[in-house]
Amino acid sequence: MELQYWHWLVFGMILIISELFIPSFTIFWFGLGALAVGGLIWLVPALSLTLQLLLWTIFSALLTAFWFLVMKPRMVDKTRAGMSREALLGETGLVIRTPEGDRRGVVRFSKPLLGDDEWSFICDEPVQLGDRVQIRDVSGNTLVVAPKTNKQSL
Amino acid sequence: MFNPGLIVVAFLLLLVIITISMGVRIVPQGFKFVIQRLGKYHCTLAPGLNIIIPYMDTVAYKVTTKDIVMDIPSQEVITRDNAVIITNAVAYINIVSPEKAVYGVEDYRMAIQTLVQTSLRSIVGEMDLDDALSSRDRIKARLKETISDDISDWGIMLKTVEIQDINPSDTMQHAMEEQAAAERARRATVTRAEGDKSAAILQADGRLEASRRDAEAKVVLAEADREAIAKVAEATKGGELPLVFLLGQRYVDAMRKMAENNNSKVVVLPADLPAAVRGIMGTLGK
Repeated sequence: MELQYWHWLVFGMILIISELFIPSFTIFWFGLGALAVGGLIWLVPALSLTLQLLLWTIFSALLTAFWFLVMKPRMVDKTRAGMSREALLGETGLVIRTPEGDRRGVVRFSKPLLGDDEWSFICDEPVQLGDRVQIRDVSGNTLVVAPKTNKQSL
Repeated sequence: MFNPGLIVVAFLLLLVIITISMGVRIVPQGFKFVIQRLGKYHCTLAPGLNIIIPYMDTVAYKVTTKDIVMDIPSQEVITRDNAVIITNAVAYINIVSPEKAVYGVEDYRMAIQTLVQTSLRSIVGEMDLDDALSSRDRIKARLKETISDDISDWGIMLKTVEIQDINPSDTMQHAMEEQAAAERARRATVTRAEGDKSAAILQADGRLEASRRDAEAKVVLAEADREAIAKVAEATKGGELPLVFLLGQRYVDAMRKMAENNNSKVVVLPADLPAAVRGIMGTLGK
């Protein structure tokens, strides 16, 4: 039995539909590849089975690469819910107590971050009261910050 | 039947399917995947569509980045003044750096639970019973402060810790109730004694006031008698007659009272009343 163009089309659709039930985002591209092969056979009916399979493989792999190279960078995070680190990094706050000796400084943010608007901080550079600092890292319940003005001048 | 080209292409297709399905990783929101490349930590995948290099990279751990609610089981704690209290707590932790959490400690839940328990014990151990029972907020703040440094190596943040129950042990509770009852009994006794004292004072005051008025009344009565005698003397133009009159009047009154009394039915009235009065007066009548 020769494979007709519509065999590929139906096969491709079945693969795409099965993506709904097996959400792995893998089968989807193979479905698209099968649709592409179906379209090609409709145009050029005299393709051998080997060539058809090879084309399917190539199409699927190319579509995968396309998705990751073109679409993935455009998928921005809509929310940082459940991503504590990402929610904290880059936020700027005001120094309300400078670090002295063993005592850590305290920085206040205009909006609460992770349920607290005051955090203790560590800073490598000297900071003054009222300086604006930016979060660079998190260490337990202490923030590692850097003065914001320095960063802009760099 | 099958030509070799077809078989090779079929296997190539299979290889591509397997490779792509191994390389694509969808990380759901609220999770992060820790990726190891050939057994070594490579990277942490953020939520969304990710691609890893098949055969080399493996998903070693799937870590939740949602807040984790941890129930700290209740434990007995001895305060500075040797009272036994039972406390339990609930802690909310959040994994900030999944790679530190999975590589830094064997079982972070167990580790933090133990840490909270021991810290709670040491903090309450520095307080007196009354302080411990009344200052939950202070315990909370100290607890957070103490633990946050210990867990920083594990990439975990202690968002909040709440003291759920802080109760004295059964024997302690019994003793405290007894103490409270005794205190109330003491207050009741004092109040009663104070009441008795006030009552006695008031009664004495009453008696004093009554005596004072009695005395005043006697004076008033005497005044009235004097005035009466004076008036009678004036009416009878001097002599002994007013005295006899008054005495006679009182004598008759006394006789009437004696007659009204149930005990003495026989009353002897002298026939000659002025003579009798004069007899009572004796020499006064001369």
